[in-house]
Amino acid sequence: MAEKEAALIVCPGRGTYGKSELGYLKRFHSDKGEPIASFDRLRSERGQPTISELDGADRFSPALHTRGDIASPLIFAASYADFLAIDRSRYDLAAATGNSMGWYTTLAVAGAVGPEQGFRIIDAMGENSQAGEAGGQVLLTLVDEEWKTLADLREQVLALAAAIGARDGCSLHVSIELGGMIVFAGNEAGLAALLAEAPPTPARDPLRLVNHGPFHTPLMAGSSKRAMAQLPADWFGSPEMPMIDGRGHIWRPFASSPSALHDYTFVTQILETYHFTRALQVAVKEQAADRIILLGPGDTLGGAIAQALIAIEWRGLRSKRDFQEMQASDPFLVSMGREDQRGLVTS
Amino acid sequence: MDAAEAIHQKFVAKVRAGNLPRRTSGVEPADIGLSREAMVELFYSQVASRQMDRLSRRLQARGEGFYTIGSSGHENNAAVADALRVDDMAFLHYRSNAFQIHRSKKLPGQTPCWDMLLSFAASAEDPISGGRHKVIGSKPLAIPPQTSTIASHLPKAVGAAFSIGIARMLKLEHTELPRDSVVLCSFGDASANHSTAQGAFNTAAWAAYQGTPMPLIFLCEDNGIGISTRTPPGWIGASFRNRPGLDYVHCSGLDMADAWRGARDAARIARTQRRPVFLHMDCVRLYGHAGSDVQATYLTRAQIEQDEERDPLLYSAALLVEQEALSERDILDIYNETEATLARVAEQAIARPKLTTSKDVMASIVPPRRSPARANTPTPEQREALFERDRNMIDKPQHMARLLSWALADLMLAHPEIIVAGEDVGPKGGVYNVTAKLHERFGSCRVINTLLDEQSILGLGIGAAHNGLLAITEIQFLAYVHNAEDQIRGEAATLSFFSNGQYTNPTIIRIAGLGYQKGFGGHFHNDNSLAVFRDIPGLILACPSNGADAVEMLRECVRLALEEQRVIVFVEPIALYMTRDLHEEGDSLWTSTYAAPGSAKPVRLGELGVHGSGTDLAIISYANGYYLSRQAERILSERHGLASRVIDLRWLAPLNEDGLIDAVAGCERILIVDECRRTGSQSEALMALFAERAPGVECRRIAAEDSFIPLGRAATLTLPSRDSIVAAALEMVRG
Repeated sequence: MAEKEAALIVCPGRGTYGKSELGYLKRFHSDKGEPIASFDRLRSERGQPTISELDGADRFSPALHTRGDIASPLIFAASYADFLAIDRSRYDLAAATGNSMGWYTTLAVAGAVGPEQGFRIIDAMGENSQAGEAGGQVLLTLVDEEWKTLADLREQVLALAAAIGARDGCSLHVSIELGGMIVFAGNEAGLAALLAEAPPTPARDPLRLVNHGPFHTPLMAGSSKRAMAQLPADWFGSPEMPMIDGRGHIWRPFASSPSALHDYTFVTQILETYHFTRALQVAVKEQAADRIILLGPGDTLGGAIAQALIAIEWRGLRSKRDFQEMQASDPFLVSMGREDQRGLVTS
Repeated sequence: MDAAEAIHQKFVAKVRAGNLPRRTSGVEPADIGLSREAMVELFYSQVASRQMDRLSRRLQARGEGFYTIGSSGHENNAAVADALRVDDMAFLHYRSNAFQIHRSKKLPGQTPCWDMLLSFAASAEDPISGGRHKVIGSKPLAIPPQTSTIASHLPKAVGAAFSIGIARMLKLEHTELPRDSVVLCSFGDASANHSTAQGAFNTAAWAAYQGTPMPLIFLCEDNGIGISTRTPPGWIGASFRNRPGLDYVHCSGLDMADAWRGARDAARIARTQRRPVFLHMDCVRLYGHAGSDVQATYLTRAQIEQDEERDPLLYSAALLVEQEALSERDILDIYNETEATLARVAEQAIARPKLTTSKDVMASIVPPRRSPARANTPTPEQREALFERDRNMIDKPQHMARLLSWALADLMLAHPEIIVAGEDVGPKGGVYNVTAKLHERFGSCRVINTLLDEQSILGLGIGAAHNGLLAITEIQFLAYVHNAEDQIRGEAATLSFFSNGQYTNPTIIRIAGLGYQKGFGGHFHNDNSLAVFRDIPGLILACPSNGADAVEMLRECVRLALEEQRVIVFVEPIALYMTRDLHEEGDSLWTSTYAAPGSAKPVRLGELGVHGSGTDLAIISYANGYYLSRQAERILSERHGLASRVIDLRWLAPLNEDGLIDAVAGCERILIVDECRRTGSQSEALMALFAERAPGVECRRIAAEDSFIPLGRAATLTLPSRDSIVAAALEMVRG
């Protein structure tokens, strides 16, 4: 029998369940009674439309499906179900990490919280943030056509954001370091100023992320307080595999204090910049997994992952072309949200 | 079987069988606040360190790794990392993998395994040395890299700790080390005997004994053996338990809880009482000194087995099982998974690029430039107040010693981060009054009388530089620097190189020296060899011949230190300190009026001094040789009709070769006058330079004989003189 490969699990964040993902659970996970049934049950008990109903809707409704209290549980359910579908006879799971709300999924796939607790966390946080603070996120793409970071542009944009953030009435922060992109978050005045004054970004124009709050900034203080009050520390336990958080810190089995994990999840993680780039880079350097498995739904995080790898020339990758060539011959990054790659890691 | 593999198999077998040793201490983790999770995290660090040792040997066997001195048996230094903060600067010896791995966990985003494996593989991407050396070190983790195996990093640790108190008292803003931080240095029991180490212990204790803050931990990892020589049982404890001014804490390096207790106690003393602590940790050395060392050639089988039984990982396993933090199976899972993970990481690390050109290797010898904090611009009133007591002299011509003392005062006024330190530099003003009045002007925190130990003086300067201070240290006489030269050669000059320019220790070392001192002489006071400085890559060696140059060159040295982070030796010719006249008594040609900073005419690094423009002969010299050559030049001109020029090198290293070739252009002959000993003196390099680059020009030299300097009237017999220069010049001209 061939030796097992070591896999790094990456859990996607918001914005990954789009029109083409409608029916994802039905398509790939209709064989799984649990945990989808228990997720549905949890939502029914609270009088919410179930995950299966939302996933099985006739058509994708942006107004509905991108709302925090809808998108978050849908994404979590799809990611978790994907995680369960990985062929464990071929893959050892070396570590897990995630982007933004993908951290909650990470907690669940790594076993630091049970799947139901994970779902309740995601559901509560989706609702919490949907009901939450004014403001939102804007994504700026700061790479060239080969996905290399444009360092000068990046400096320019960061300086502009800092200047805007210092203005009266404006709030603007780095929300997520996302490969060659930066997600900024702030209040409406701050975001409007950024959109108005941002220098041209050659790869893609700035993008306001619909229905997103000012995540990972001090503007989420209320959300953090509510989370600490609603979601108990005793749901947390030791992870079964290393987890790399949004600072690049590694939480190891038996060495992670549940209360520290609880504090990080609902305070630091909510209020401070989420360094996905760093988390991914720490994960690949310290684990050197044979393959990265990006859980579904969707595969939009794949670009950020590739850019983070190119930035450190991981496995000799220096450009988008290098990455595409590697993917074409033997994909290092397997996106379970892609039908052509999914089969590589499922049984 | 390879010793490392034997210990590995023993570990696995014993854990699997539950055959774990009895703990060596009764310290109950819960009683000292050590949680189960914290113990497991420490264990992860220990296991990563151990597995990295095994891996380094496998990589070496494959030709992919280049260093096998390991940390096995010393893994409980991770507990010391746990007890300290990430900004407590740590000068670590080479068995400190576990320390660095564990400290990295205090700063999210660190990749210690990847970083260390790049270092093992000598990859150019190694984040600390850039592939130049396997060192323990990290800029974000405040671990300056050390390459010494002989505890020569201890004096600078003392200097860094001392500087924390100085910076605090001076309320300096731009320091590197937090005011409540402590400094750690680690070393083995064997190197604790080294005179350098002993000097450092003594200096720290000497300072603390008189109440000087010294927040410093000396971590002695006592494994009982230095390569093949056993340390007498009990020697370290007996030597350090009762030293005045030095607290002593003992802990087991086998028992994680006791190690943690000891480290915490030591940290508390150093941080809250700001006293130096000797933390004595009993360790064991597993598998010999390095990969090539076969212990069986000097230890009995029984001794080796006894050491193997004392594997700290087994004791950690025993503690974790006892405390129900991990099962035996969990322990083996962690151990095996770590091995597998590191093996994967290593395969990626060895594929990373290496250094490929000499230019790449040398890129960090000279540190990168930086933008230092802006200097104060003192007001005229501040300067008037500063020089109030010299008011009647300051606009009159003065000799070099006084001019230098004024230049130092102005520099200290403009740069609050400058301190002056050395033997007798305080109220006495130094042997030759060069630091006169500095103490009364700037106080004891900035003008520091040190103890009689050159290694400690240099260590103070180097260590203070790690904290953003600029120390201008004084070595009283050139001959005294030789017992401490490794502090310059092995420590200060190498720091930028081994840290890829990330750590620097800009410092200026003033040294009085050279011959011709009237009515004095003698080897120890008039030593005339600078060879020890000449071959040190990156070192700047300045040697002025007169007061006006000395002032401007000292200012340039301060600029070089602050902006270019250079290590500088500034040699002051004793015989010229008080010299006023050049040709006749009373001509005052060797005095100058002090140029205030506002009217300074900088003498930049490498800038030559050229007197005259004759083409019959170019005389090249420096210091006393230049002074004598100037006397000779007039005689050659007036009595023999020779038109010559006299070139003052001013800067002996790096040598401005292009400038020299330009300066002798058109001259028919070159005479090199060197007051230092013929062998190893500057004249050798100059002869080679002109042979290579001006082969058609006749070039000769006169230099001091290869002798030591005798006393009294015989003091100058072996040295070039005015008349010998004249004679040599005439011989050249007459053929």
